[in-house]
Amino acid sequence: MMAAEKKRIRKLTIAKAMSEAIDQAMTSNPDVFVMGEDVGKLGGVFGTTTGLFDKYGPDRVRDTPISETGFIGAAAGAAVMGMRPVVELMFIDFFGVCMDVIYNFAAKNSYFSGGRQAVPMVLMTSAGGGYSDGGQHSQCLYTTFAHLPGLKVVMPSNAYDAKGMMTAAINDDNPVIFIFHKSLQGMGWLGTAKGAIVDVPETVYEVPLGKANISREGSDITVVGFGNTVHHALDAARDLALEGISAEVVDLRSLAPLDRETVLASVRKTGRLLAVDDDHLSYGWTGEVIASVAEAGIALKCPARRIAYPDVPVPFARPMEQFLLPNAEKVKAAVLSLMNSVVSV
Amino acid sequence: MQIKIEDDFWQGDDEAVITAWLVDDGAEVAEGDVVAEMMLAKVQMEIEAPCSGVIHIEMEAEVPLKKGMVIATIDQ
Repeated sequence: MMAAEKKRIRKLTIAKAMSEAIDQAMTSNPDVFVMGEDVGKLGGVFGTTTGLFDKYGPDRVRDTPISETGFIGAAAGAAVMGMRPVVELMFIDFFGVCMDVIYNFAAKNSYFSGGRQAVPMVLMTSAGGGYSDGGQHSQCLYTTFAHLPGLKVVMPSNAYDAKGMMTAAINDDNPVIFIFHKSLQGMGWLGTAKGAIVDVPETVYEVPLGKANISREGSDITVVGFGNTVHHALDAARDLALEGISAEVVDLRSLAPLDRETVLASVRKTGRLLAVDDDHLSYGWTGEVIASVAEAGIALKCPARRIAYPDVPVPFARPMEQFLLPNAEKVKAAVLSLMNSVVSV
Repeated sequence: MQIKIEDDFWQGDDEAVITAWLVDDGAEVAEGDVVAEMMLAKVQMEIEAPCSGVIHIEMEAEVPLKKGMVIATIDQ
């Protein structure tokens, strides 16, 4: 008797999904190569280059000294000359030492050359805290890149998106800042949101950069998240459903380009808006999203609200850091208070 | 068949942790499938299914593990 063919589920962590995307790109395109600190034999401190060194060797998977200024500059130069480098800045917190080549060269060269000299590089970098690693290893800071024209800035919230977005990033002729959140990565010492580990096809596929995703449909309120905060929103939405509140969760997936259309369509439907970010509050993307809704003239049933990391450095002490981070409880409390509030006329 | 943390998995008596289950409880697995990832002192290891069958997860992710513990069983 033939057993019913069950669809085989193959779950991956974001770390493995990113590695698989880079692996497949390296197989099909000899111009793709990897550089960074500990990306070789170790496979990346965050597992982003697992297995690549053994498969492709030291010419295409290059361990670098601790010199982001040098090797990220080299990557940008290689990209201009026709290569497709994938380079890792281990922590986004360290961008200070390599920012000039990122925003004054990589982000501008296509414009300066009249479109003749693209810079098809992927800069992948870790963001986020929550595991007591101190103020120079726990920041998000991605909004800083999103403020600068000429860069794409993306972050997956799950392994399916991670693979498809990495493939799209490598194939993109623009410099792409590919953020991965440490709380979603699948590395044990950091803890991992379970919803980030999902079924991932073995085939090559792209998830388009700059398209938001409706992670959960709802009708009462739109909760917009990015990376880890998508999971806070989803956890809160599950709880809220038990109380009869239907929350729609939008995963931005990209800050630049920002998919305003998807956000606006959702808010037109729900009439309420909460934006949740774990980057610093002031001048962050939550403000940009709310401004976009205001500029579109959408009438809201209650004031828009944002939850984000307060404008203070990230503390080392665990209770202090946890107190400041967004979480599902804060999202739930904010939604409940918004559902009970109205716009004054 | 049990998936057990064998004594020779690593040296010493340190505790490890399952960082992620890559299959759902009750899923069908094939021999050799990577079903979980485990971490010991920042070194990541893969755990493969020793046989084909339906897997039952006994130990959740992110719980400290000692040698000798059974983390899952597989009904063949």
